[in-house]
Amino acid sequence: MDNLRNNENKFRRYKAHVSIAGTTQLHLRNPYIIAWWSAAFPGFGHLILSKYLRGLVLFVWEVIVNYNAKINVAMVYSFCGEIGSAKQVIEPRWMLMYIPVYLFGIWDSYRTCVDMNKVSLLAEREDAPINSYTIGALEINYLDKRVPIMSVLWSTFMPGLGQLHIHRLLTAFFSLIWTIVFLYFSKTLVAVHYLFDGDITKSTSVLDKQWLMYMPSMWGFAVYDSYINTVENNKLYEWEQRNFLIKKFQSPEFKIKKGKVVS
Amino acid sequence: MVQIFATFEHSASLELAISSLEKNGVSKENIFAVPLTNRAAERRLFDTIHSEDGISLLGTGAALATAFAVVGASVGFRLAWGPIYWGLIGTGGGFLLGLLIDLFYYKVVKKQQHLLRGKNSEVILIVECKEEQSDTVESILWHHFAFGLARIESN
Repeated sequence: MDNLRNNENKFRRYKAHVSIAGTTQLHLRNPYIIAWWSAAFPGFGHLILSKYLRGLVLFVWEVIVNYNAKINVAMVYSFCGEIGSAKQVIEPRWMLMYIPVYLFGIWDSYRTCVDMNKVSLLAEREDAPINSYTIGALEINYLDKRVPIMSVLWSTFMPGLGQLHIHRLLTAFFSLIWTIVFLYFSKTLVAVHYLFDGDITKSTSVLDKQWLMYMPSMWGFAVYDSYINTVENNKLYEWEQRNFLIKKFQSPEFKIKKGKVVS
Repeated sequence: MVQIFATFEHSASLELAISSLEKNGVSKENIFAVPLTNRAAERRLFDTIHSEDGISLLGTGAALATAFAVVGASVGFRLAWGPIYWGLIGTGGGFLLGLLIDLFYYKVVKKQQHLLRGKNSEVILIVECKEEQSDTVESILWHHFAFGLARIESN
């Protein structure tokens, strides 16, 4: 149940939509930053743009194809200068299919971002009203102001919590589940445990290279995505309240009177 | 009649204040809200809940932190401190580098104006009421975090 239904189709573009699953919003983004997140992990660029289905498909594709082609392990060996081991570990049955989709992810998110920036400007100028509130059997969502640094903090502890903080449920659940998978198979937390014991050699040897290398992007993405969306949600809140005040509390009969300030 | 001027920031408290006023017998026509446009130069590098801007120091920082973390963790398999420490060092180093790049860009290249610090008055609220109501109105406004108040009496 939304507090405003735009089903009369009076407007051409809406800049935001408040739904049970989260607040979807158009705003200006830097296409290079979006392209970078797609390069760090295919799908992330699309997820930041709120293009969930494309993002999720590309993400799962990355996990599967990278895992089978052993791209991450080869990358670790290459950075270590062990080119021989890198050549040996990579799986030619999978490797070549990695390249086109990887590049597509970067290119497509860049292109989409440039496009959506235009749409976003048009929506901004049209200034159509949006629903600010929705309540249903499963959830309640409404425009609100939240503290951006809290999103960063929770995302650092566990990717996905920052998104939960701002009711970005799809990215939140997705990040939480995949972080569990990555942490479990990479044995990162076991390695951290050995580090607390001061045993660096053991800590290094227990880590799984393939699964570990999914994690840095996961963390970076979770922090960045939750942070910028908190900021943008706050801006949307201010815009909506401003319009509400102008509409409801500017009676033409109201007169400012002359007088004296009394304390 | 008395007019009470108050300043607020955009928040749910402001709407609560207005609805409390209405409950206490102040009619809609006697409440006048003036949302302000805040100074455009006010671009904070670290966004807060009070004033936000898409331009911030986090974009380049987060991107470089991730990139350096990947390289750091990879090379870490060969180095004495191992992948986790080097991954973390990469994250911190990358973030700092991104921060410095953005700082340089905004402070030196774009030379931005002075930043507005702290909370900003974003809305002026003017409430007209009878003299005997004015104490109630004032206390409602204060309780909902008005930044400042002034009561104007006219003869």
